[in-house]
Amino acid sequence: MKHNVRTLFLAACCAPLLGGCGKDEAKTEINVFAAASMTETLNQIKAKYEEANKNIQVNLNLDSSGTLKTQIENGADCDLFISAAPKQMNGLQDLNLVNTESRVNLLENKVALATSQNNPKNVLSFDDMASRLAGEEGFILGMGNSDVPVGQYTQKILQYYSLNESELAAAGKISYGNNVKAVTTAVANEGVACGVIYQTDAFSANLHVVATATAAMCGQVIYPAALMANAKQAEEAGKFFEYLKGEEAMVIFESVGFSRIA
Amino acid sequence: MDLFPLWNSLRIAAISSVIIFFLGILLAYYISKLPRVAKGLLDVLLTLPLVLPPTVCGYFLVLAFGNKSPVGQFFYNIGFPFFMSWRGAILCSVVVAFPLMYRTVRGAFESFDEDLGNAGRTLGLSNTYIFWRIRMPFCKNGIIAGLVLAFARALGEYGATSMFVGYIQGKTATISTAVYNYWTIGANDKALMWVFINIAISIVVLMAVNLFEGKKGGTKRVH
Repeated sequence: MKHNVRTLFLAACCAPLLGGCGKDEAKTEINVFAAASMTETLNQIKAKYEEANKNIQVNLNLDSSGTLKTQIENGADCDLFISAAPKQMNGLQDLNLVNTESRVNLLENKVALATSQNNPKNVLSFDDMASRLAGEEGFILGMGNSDVPVGQYTQKILQYYSLNESELAAAGKISYGNNVKAVTTAVANEGVACGVIYQTDAFSANLHVVATATAAMCGQVIYPAALMANAKQAEEAGKFFEYLKGEEAMVIFESVGFSRIA
Repeated sequence: MDLFPLWNSLRIAAISSVIIFFLGILLAYYISKLPRVAKGLLDVLLTLPLVLPPTVCGYFLVLAFGNKSPVGQFFYNIGFPFFMSWRGAILCSVVVAFPLMYRTVRGAFESFDEDLGNAGRTLGLSNTYIFWRIRMPFCKNGIIAGLVLAFARALGEYGATSMFVGYIQGKTATISTAVYNYWTIGANDKALMWVFINIAISIVVLMAVNLFEGKKGGTKRVH
């Protein structure tokens, strides 16, 4: 009896291993490397695209842009790359890995001033944030540190308002996060009065966006995209790329807080 | 819902475990017979991945097997790449989980009473027979314990895997990389779901250990 239990147990453990067999491999596969912030949207777009193009399979590699760049440098098969900042795309371009003619600025993400849905400190705008940071006791801003891209944008905003970041930090008015997720968490749990994050992060964490920063305040957050020079499926990837630029895809991108390039 | 990470994690852990099983027993057996200095050196080398951060292992794997390295290029050209492929995750799991099997099995082998083997020899039994029919059954509990630990570690491998094979949905995504990816993009419900799946599997694995150990109460040898 005890043996039976054990056999049954083993069988139960092995069963899922068999489940994955029998996938059809006849489809043309295109490899898309994209910033992790596009996970949700690209999955929706992928589903729609594959539905309309039964012979295509879109493989999504979603990670931080720096990681993706390293993977491509190390020879990973990539047809289309969408970076969350021009820096990584430029780096690959310097290595002649990018099909430069295909490069476009696909999307813009906004730097947003976010609070929890309650907005307990009733933050009204970037101007309001700036004046209360300077004056009000116990008003704490959450921001990424200088290693984090969104932290660098926040520093520009503070400079725009002529605020001294290190003085504010010394006065305990800034709470730093190691990544944008940490800042988002602090805002959602009302550990800070408000935080500066990307609009897409605010949308996905269901936070209240008080305002978005203008280009004058901190520049633009551009997502460049391009086909790779050694793309194996350049033609099919090119078609998918065109689809991403089209209306149907843009509506999906906008639904999570991305903006079209004006 | 896409259950690919579950199946991928399980197949990676299962295949890694098979490789680790044979490799671990083989190396543990031969190394335990080596002179002290050689044994010590090989011990350090083979146990190193256990104490090194998995990111260091991942880095070495990218250097050695990335598509730009000679070895990586060879495998890429024959259409069997490891880098950014689920096969590469097996490589990561084997490297990182191997020491657990190796250490445990070596401990078990060292506690094996050589008189039993010698007694077999006086009866004219072959070394192969002695190994499989006397030594292995004697050390069974240690071997199973090592294998389960290695399987569990392989299943939970994150650091080297994320560096070496990335997170490609439907291709290289595993449970642990899925948790991280969903967490970074704020998809907390999905991350949490994978966390619970992970916990459930871990509980099943630990129950399996108890089930096997329960058979021979009190005689287990876990080092």
